[in-house]
Amino acid sequence: MSVAAARDRPGGGVRGWARMNRLDATRCVVQALAPLGDVPIVASLGHPAYDLFAAGDRAANFYTWGSMGLASSIGLGLAMARPDLRVFVLDGDGSLLMNLGSLATIGWTRPPNLVVIVWDNQEYGTTGGQETATAHGADLEAAARAMGAAAVTARSPGALDDAIARAAAEAGPWVIVAKVTESAPSVKPPLDCVAIKQRFMAAIGRAEPGTEGEAR
Amino acid sequence: MTHPKWAAGVCAGLHAAGSRHVVYVPDNPLSHVLRILRERYPDVRTTIATREEEAFGIAAGLYLGGARPTVMLQSSGLGNSLNAITSLLLPYRIPALIAISMRGDAGEWNEAQVPMGRAVRAICDAIGIPHTTAESAESAGETVRLMAQTAFATRTAGACLLPRRVTVPAAASAGGRA
Repeated sequence: MSVAAARDRPGGGVRGWARMNRLDATRCVVQALAPLGDVPIVASLGHPAYDLFAAGDRAANFYTWGSMGLASSIGLGLAMARPDLRVFVLDGDGSLLMNLGSLATIGWTRPPNLVVIVWDNQEYGTTGGQETATAHGADLEAAARAMGAAAVTARSPGALDDAIARAAAEAGPWVIVAKVTESAPSVKPPLDCVAIKQRFMAAIGRAEPGTEGEAR
Repeated sequence: MTHPKWAAGVCAGLHAAGSRHVVYVPDNPLSHVLRILRERYPDVRTTIATREEEAFGIAAGLYLGGARPTVMLQSSGLGNSLNAITSLLLPYRIPALIAISMRGDAGEWNEAQVPMGRAVRAICDAIGIPHTTAESAESAGETVRLMAQTAFATRTAGACLLPRRVTVPAAASAGGRA
C-alpha cells in the first residue's frame, strides 16, 4: 500500500495532509538533542532503532534488538538511576501497545527527566505493515495523560521540535506521540549487543564495571 | 509484626551485594521482604511493576545507569518474563538478582500454580540462567548475597529460588492455604 493510500484509508486517522516521515522525524530529534551532548537515547527494536542509526549513530544510543515493548521501561529504569540526565526513548505505537502498563508505572513514579517519543505510524512497520489499534482510534496521548504523564501529539516537524524543546526543559515525565509514516529503513545498527551496551554506558559516564581494568 | 528470618535474610543479602533498587510484582511471602525493606533499608528504592516483563525492562535500564537491580517475582511470573530475559538481559549481558518466590512446590494447594512451579528450574537451565535455592530460613540471606555477588561480578542474571517450605513453613507442613 502506498503511503498516500495508507494515510487516506478508513481509520487512517490523518487525512488531507502529509504526515512526517519517521526518518526525517528521527533526524529532528537527533539534531534537537545535539547541543545537549551525550544524552541517552533508547530505541525500540526494528525500524525505530534502524532510523536512529541512520539519523546519526552516537555512543549514547542504546539500540534494542529484541524485548519488544520494553524501550519505555528501559528508559524509566535509566531515568531512575540517573536523575542527573534527561533520558529520551524512541518507541513505536505497536511496541508501546504491547506494554501499556509501562505508562501506568511511568505515570505514578513520575520521573521528571524521562521523555518517551512514540513514533505512531498506525502499523507494525517492521513486520509488514499490519494495522495497530491506533489505526482504529486508540489514542496513546490520552492514555499517557490519563496515567499521569505530560502528553502531546505532534503532527508536523515544527510541532515535534516544539514538543522536544518543552520536554527537554520542563519537568516530565513526557510522552510525545508523533504521527509519522513509514520510512523503509535501508541500514541497521551494529548487531553486537554487548558492544552496544558498553559503548552506551561509557558514553553516559557509567563505564561497565570490569571493562576498564584497575590499578593495583 | 515479627520479621521472618528468611525475609530478613533476603533483604540483608541483596543489600550486602550492593543492590539499592528492587523492582517487583508482589506475592504473599514477598510482602514480608517489602515490609522489612521499608522499615530497615531506607536507601533501597522499591518499584512495583504492572507485569514481570516490565520489571525486567526497568531493571535493565537501572543497570545501564550504573545500579545493581533486583527483580522479585513469583514463579508464575517467570513465564511473563521470558522474552525480556532472553532477548534483553542475556544477549546484552545485563545482570540482575532475580528473587523468585516459589509456588507449585511442596505445600502448594492451588493446582494452577503447579505446572510453572515444577518447570522453573528446567526453564532457567534451558535459557542459561544460573539458579540456587534457599534451603532454609537461616541460609536464605547468604544464598541471596552470594548469587547476587556472582551475578553482578560476572554480568549474568542469576536467580535465587525461595521455596514454599522456607517462606510458608506452616502451610508446607499442614497442607493448608497461605
